[in-house]
Amino acid sequence: MTRIEFWTLTRRLASYAVLSAVTFIVCFPLVWALSTSLKPKSEIFATPPTLIPHAATTENYKALLTGRPQYFQSGGQQVTSGTTPAQFFTRWFVNSVIVTLGSTLISITISTLAAYSLTRFRYWGRTVVPYFSLLGYMVPSIIFVFPLFLVMVQLNLTDSLLSLVLGYVCITLPFCMWLMWAFMRSIPIEIEEAALIDGASRLQVFRQVVLPTALPGIIAAAIFSMIVSWNDYLFGRVFLNSLDNLTLTVGVMLFFEGTHVDWGLLMAASVLMTVPMAILFMALQRHLVAGFGAGAVKG
Amino acid sequence: MDVKLEGINKSFGQVQVLKDINLVFPSRKFITLLGPSGCGKTTLLRMIAGLEPVTSGGIRFGERVVNELAPRDRNIAMVFQSYALYPQMTVRRNLGYGLRVRKTPKAEMDAAVERVAAILEISHLLDRKPAQLSGGQRQRVALGRAMVRQPDIFLMDEPLSNLDAKLRVTMRAELRRFHLDLGATTIYVTHDQLEAMTMSDMIAVMHGGIVQQFGTPAEVYGQPANLFVAGFIGSPPMNLLAGELRGDDKPTFASPGLTVQLPNLVAHPPSRDVMLGIRPQDLDLVGDHEPADLRGRVWVVELLGSEKLVEVEYAERKRVTVQVRAETSVNVDDTVGVRLNARRAHVFDIKSGATLRS
Repeated sequence: MTRIEFWTLTRRLASYAVLSAVTFIVCFPLVWALSTSLKPKSEIFATPPTLIPHAATTENYKALLTGRPQYFQSGGQQVTSGTTPAQFFTRWFVNSVIVTLGSTLISITISTLAAYSLTRFRYWGRTVVPYFSLLGYMVPSIIFVFPLFLVMVQLNLTDSLLSLVLGYVCITLPFCMWLMWAFMRSIPIEIEEAALIDGASRLQVFRQVVLPTALPGIIAAAIFSMIVSWNDYLFGRVFLNSLDNLTLTVGVMLFFEGTHVDWGLLMAASVLMTVPMAILFMALQRHLVAGFGAGAVKG
Repeated sequence: MDVKLEGINKSFGQVQVLKDINLVFPSRKFITLLGPSGCGKTTLLRMIAGLEPVTSGGIRFGERVVNELAPRDRNIAMVFQSYALYPQMTVRRNLGYGLRVRKTPKAEMDAAVERVAAILEISHLLDRKPAQLSGGQRQRVALGRAMVRQPDIFLMDEPLSNLDAKLRVTMRAELRRFHLDLGATTIYVTHDQLEAMTMSDMIAVMHGGIVQQFGTPAEVYGQPANLFVAGFIGSPPMNLLAGELRGDDKPTFASPGLTVQLPNLVAHPPSRDVMLGIRPQDLDLVGDHEPADLRGRVWVVELLGSEKLVEVEYAERKRVTVQVRAETSVNVDDTVGVRLNARRAHVFDIKSGATLRS
């Protein structure tokens, strides 16, 4: 083995070692959650711990998805008369989907139109707005929570999904707008002019030429917005209070209340919460990279 | 369809970029707007396209004033410098877009796309996206998109400037050929005087927002209207020598190191500061002992292939470029004489820049 070959091999081994370590650190909690969620109660605290359950069971998932309360009667904490948090799981799931899609739809619509206007029309302040909006994104959202809550009280919207939709729009819009602005800027205006000459109206130009070209940017902004809304705990915790209206993040925290924590159930809930985002990510990650890279490199 | 520009002015805020443009582009001709960058040629083209509003003046297509018409109502087509292909559409959809938004029946549209693709030899590319094409292929698609609708007027904004030198020469000839076949009025913007000379029926030379001269390539080359045109048109550029005009009956140009009678010029007030313009092709190199109009030392020699450019320094910091055949034996620091074909000389007033003609 020559010197050069030795070093090439060493370098390759070292990079694989680092990559494996990182992958392990990132994936282990997920794998552990999946493993725990499939274990019967008796095995969760078994020593030594098992990674692959000896007697795998889907009971936890069944309980969450069908909301069978009797399963919990033995150990699960009862929150209000005769109900357990797990009963509401599907309800919360639907709530989370509603607020995530709702806020993302609004954010994307506004930010796309705003970015188009900011990059295509000349008016006072159009150059500073994107930077201010980015600045807005840098302010921690906890600062907005209570003022926004008071606004929701005024609007009589507290404890409604709409309040959460509006709240999420407030925290996702600035970054979405900045992202779309960077993306729109990279779309050459000539292709719009070419379409105008080809015979398209302004609206046709926007629909048939601008939007399809901006799609990677739109997808990137949408993924960002969905992740923020789906994972948020703070706004949901402050804005909502009735069990029916909770979102997944807030609801699943109720599993902790009381003296007994059903870890199997909790882990199953975590896995189910992760699945939609994971699928979304895998389906769209190609566009995500294109979207985030758009501002930097002119096509 | 002819295009008339009547007293066109254009300002961006306080800056006036086009000043009183009056031109008539005859129908079916290939017209070039030629000038250095920033001269307003692209702005003028965009105004003809309807992409830029006119500050004052009128644009007519035929008899119709089109100032207020949207681009899509002008029946024009435009080829952009960057090609401006729709990135998410295939070549087929790019070509057909203009027909599709005009609600052309599908069969007719397909036929038109196939026909244009065949002419431009891009039929095999129809199902590709622009990103998968080379520069030359994109150029053809852009051209095809313009041709497919059979517009009255073709507008082209430096369409060849992104191509490599060899392809540019080929495309120049092809564009000229397409123009003859299509029979639409073509307005072509370029800063490359060679493109303008080789392709155009008429050239409008522009500088500083003003049309300096409008004429055939032979006219702008042979009878430049002013100093700017004289210096801009022609490669290698015309020699411009500052001096004085003397004598009433037999006008004579006089400057340190060069005195020459100008047979073409008659009856001009004497003692006038002028610029003598003479193209390198109209100068001859002669031996040191032969009669010559000016004498000097060879400063540098450039071989172009079939010709040589010889720069001769005839006075302190004063040089002329002489074009000679490549076989001519001449070396740096040779002492040489230069003979001037006075009949081909141009004389310009230094103050106004305008040509002095007989």
